[in-house]
Amino acid sequence: MSDQASTRLWTMRIAFGLLVLVILFLHLLPLQTATGGLIWPDFVLGFALAWSVRRPEYVPAVLLAAMFLMADLLLQRPPGLWAVLALIACEQIKVQSRSLRDATLLAEMASVSIRIVGVILAYRIILAIMLVDSTPMGPTLIQIVATVLAYPLVVAITHGLLGVRKAAPNELGSKGVRS
Amino acid sequence: MAKDRTNVDYTGPLRRLVLAVLVLVLTGIFLLWRIDSPRVERFRAQVTDQIVPNLDWAMAPITGTINLARDFQSYRRIAEQNTELRRELRQMQAWKEAALQLEQENARLLDLNNVSLDPRLTYITGVVLADSGSPFRQSVLLNVGARDGIVEGWATMDGIGLVGRISGVAQNTSRVIMVTDATSRIPAMIQPSGQRAIVAGDNSAVPPIDFLENPDLVRPGDRVVTSGDGGVLPAGLLLGQVAADPGGQLRVRLAADYERLEFLRVLRHYGNEPVSDSGSVLGVAAEAQLAQEGTSDLTEITE
Repeated sequence: MSDQASTRLWTMRIAFGLLVLVILFLHLLPLQTATGGLIWPDFVLGFALAWSVRRPEYVPAVLLAAMFLMADLLLQRPPGLWAVLALIACEQIKVQSRSLRDATLLAEMASVSIRIVGVILAYRIILAIMLVDSTPMGPTLIQIVATVLAYPLVVAITHGLLGVRKAAPNELGSKGVRS
Repeated sequence: MAKDRTNVDYTGPLRRLVLAVLVLVLTGIFLLWRIDSPRVERFRAQVTDQIVPNLDWAMAPITGTINLARDFQSYRRIAEQNTELRRELRQMQAWKEAALQLEQENARLLDLNNVSLDPRLTYITGVVLADSGSPFRQSVLLNVGARDGIVEGWATMDGIGLVGRISGVAQNTSRVIMVTDATSRIPAMIQPSGQRAIVAGDNSAVPPIDFLENPDLVRPGDRVVTSGDGGVLPAGLLLGQVAADPGGQLRVRLAADYERLEFLRVLRHYGNEPVSDSGSVLGVAAEAQLAQEGTSDLTEITE
């Protein structure tokens, strides 16, 4: 295996960490102190799924878990629950990534949307079972729709700006092994 | 890393093991939070304390720039606003005159009655570092913490009205749960009728009034202040005015300006000491004298 590939692998892993930090940073800017602001799509989840489809090796499970847990802590969510659900969704998508490699964006979106809806609904249901006060249903539905609709944008940024593309079938993986 | 070398195959047993461990750890954290919330919340406050103040150098200019751009939009209507402000200023001058007279009168009356206001209600001013980052939670992070003597539960105000209370203190930062948050419950009193109620946040800009004894005595426009019940918040802090929504539900239009919170005052409040033992107020000697006088009075009466 070449040294270059290994450097690129670690650069992209660090890049993913930085990307999540930037998203959290934008969330935390004290611009929206009043109620009734816009409901943003969950970009952390969107990017994690998009990267998992494209290059599973750039987002190892440990990195994903750490980033999701940090997001939970900083965004005042019950720590751990959202992280575990999102991690499972990403790992499922990674298993599928080989078949999704040749799929169109629409097919990919369908597959990813199911995961997004699944994560958000499971999150709410578990919170309800554990008797934790959770958010009203309306904004949650808006957030599901927003996250799904934002996915093509997330893919465009991932593909165009960050240069994370699906591996071509003849391309060697980062470790010199067919991925 | 050796682990990653073997991790290339994405269905391998090691990968599944790592995943299982991660799932267990995360679920464990969630369950721990559910069981022992204060401990995990303290941990959360410490993590926030480590991360957010370090981002401040980047946050401040970006926030400033965006606010500048927002202000710039309003510059276009500047002439219109100017006349509007002049009109308001004229009204305000009349109010100012009234307020000055009332202030003097108030000072005179306080002096006459020899009233001393609680001298310990001083405050610390903090800068808002970050908001909650989520549309479902209403809280802000302040740049003052345990280092500055902040204590959990203290009230925070902007210049005019109550904004929220401290919930979560770390070394350098503290979190303010705002009155509008869905978990906020503030014991309140409605003046002039003196009705007690709870202002229960519901994630909207105008929180509803709950547990009102007699809604007939309350009219839209009445002042809502904290009642001090429960001993967490001091009494008499302004919350806002009563307003009725189209459904007839009474709500509070908050006095604090939530649109742009930049600085918040944290009121130092050490609780009201209850008077529990009345005997020791007089002192032993006085009590004995009283008892003696009482018996002599009694004997006089019997004679």
